Amino acid sequence: MNGQEAGRRIVFEDVSKFYGEVLGVNRVNLSIPGGITSLVGPNGAGKTTLMNLMTGLVRPTRGRISVLGISPDEPERLFHKLGYCTQFDSFPKGLTGYQFLYSYLRLSGKPHPVADRLAGQAIERVNLAEAAHRRIAGYSKGMRQRIKLAQALCHQPSVLVLDEPLNGLDPLIRAETIALFRSLAQEGLHIVISSHVLHEVDAISDQVVLLSNGYVVAEGQIHGVREEIHEQPMQIVIRCDKPCDLASRVFQQDCVVEARIHPDGQGVLVKTRNAERFYLLLNRLAQGGINIESVAPADDDVLSVYEYLIGTEEPTK
Amino acid sequence: MAVHKRSYHAYAGELTPRWSRFLIVSRYAFQNALASKALSAYFALCFSYPLGCALALYANHNQRLLALFQTSSFFDVNARLFFHFLGVQGMLGFILTAFVGPGLVSPDLANNALPLYLCRPVSRAEYVLGKMFVLFALLSLITWVPGEMLFLIQSSLAGASWMVPNLWIMGSILLGSAVEILVFSLLALALSAWIKRRLAAGAALLGVFFFGAGFGQAINAVLRTKYGFLIDLANLLARVEDQVFRQHTSIGIPATDAWVALVAISAFCLLLLEKKVRAYEVVRG
Repeated sequence: MNGQEAGRRIVFEDVSKFYGEVLGVNRVNLSIPGGITSLVGPNGAGKTTLMNLMTGLVRPTRGRISVLGISPDEPERLFHKLGYCTQFDSFPKGLTGYQFLYSYLRLSGKPHPVADRLAGQAIERVNLAEAAHRRIAGYSKGMRQRIKLAQALCHQPSVLVLDEPLNGLDPLIRAETIALFRSLAQEGLHIVISSHVLHEVDAISDQVVLLSNGYVVAEGQIHGVREEIHEQPMQIVIRCDKPCDLASRVFQQDCVVEARIHPDGQGVLVKTRNAERFYLLLNRLAQGGINIESVAPADDDVLSVYEYLIGTEEPTK
Repeated sequence: MAVHKRSYHAYAGELTPRWSRFLIVSRYAFQNALASKALSAYFALCFSYPLGCALALYANHNQRLLALFQTSSFFDVNARLFFHFLGVQGMLGFILTAFVGPGLVSPDLANNALPLYLCRPVSRAEYVLGKMFVLFALLSLITWVPGEMLFLIQSSLAGASWMVPNLWIMGSILLGSAVEILVFSLLALALSAWIKRRLAAGAALLGVFFFGAGFGQAINAVLRTKYGFLIDLANLLARVEDQVFRQHTSIGIPATDAWVALVAISAFCLLLLEKKVRAYEVVRG
């Protein structure tokens, strides 16, 4: 990777972190582009360690990290470019939401008028304008989560690292927050999120990094990751008007390992080891008197990939 | 494939100088500390002795009062007076430290707030410096600042004939106060970092002083030595100040040993802070 490309990515090169004899992460090689990247894995998989490593809050035992070309060993440069929202529900005592953001902006080196303006903008962005001058101690869990998010993005960073940012948010605020992430990613920010909630990861991520026991198990766009898992047949749901007829026809093909009528009787669930060949075959079948309404992969979501690669240590679905 | 417009622009405006940022940590620590009315009242009380001393100095040079009592002066103004002044103010400062110090780091650790501080362009050293500055400022206001003011008042009343030969006392006030402030601050911050409960940290600070003195005396009595004083912080400070103010001492250890002991205690406190003031506590399994 050339320097210019590395300057646009978060790069881990053979990074390991051991806490004494306890493994944090081991031999991690990642190159995270812009957009939303989700770190997914069970508790203790190394998600927070990875985030702490990229923010320089813990040092790697081995390897090299750079965030948009900046080493985490240069906090003065790094933290102007990076915003971090920790998973801890923790705030300095006695501050209002506005004071909290303002004080951290001043810590970031913003002069008074700029800090005042940026704090106001960030509060508006997370929809907390009405509660801005109330003490954080009186905030609900969701409001605390949002003010934490605001402190991560208030200084206009280029990289947002968010540890479990959707925890404690009610469905409406959760949807608003996801929309905010999407708009920030659209604007070109790097957003790295860790989450246990797999269906949300699916909804918001441009790419995922699956972690288990300190190792990166898979990385990339979910669809691409799914295609790489050859030992698990791809599952495809075909909605059609004659599911029994279709099932009997597809089962005769050697690339199909299983064909089942969908529980609602309106389609067929097919498992195949060669999706491309199956799609070609489907074109022929569609010309043979079966009216196919839709064809959709049934297991190229994060949950399926997670189950195939990590197995029983299930996070929240 | 996601499409990113790259319309976002990171902040590229003016920044405040890096050296001054630790004062932001201090500012909010000050607000917290002075939010307590009891503490504010006590802080105000700490100025009563300097004010009394200033009045006494004035009286000592007031010809009408001297004539009334038919004396040339009520007391001698020399290094001993400033030595005692610093002793009294040091004790008041220690109690102030026990009030303020424990609340500086422990709430941030208890609330896991350190990652929030340290994911800003603020180093651990700057964070500690910011917290320490609160104690430095408060203790300065009741030790060397009034001490130097008293010296200047005395100089203005007594004239150059008194001031010039006693000019070294200004340095002694500054050095003696600096030693007290540094030791008190480091000890308070280290205990605040290691004991998460504020009250317990305050009690531990008092314990270090009073139990240290008790154990020191016990060691001296049992082992028939004077080196028990090395764990007696009050006596260590007193021994150092004896030397700084060129006073005769009754503490039976050499000043060099007292200096070395204070440096060792300060280094140990710094080590404790280095171990504890981290974004994440490493728990070895």
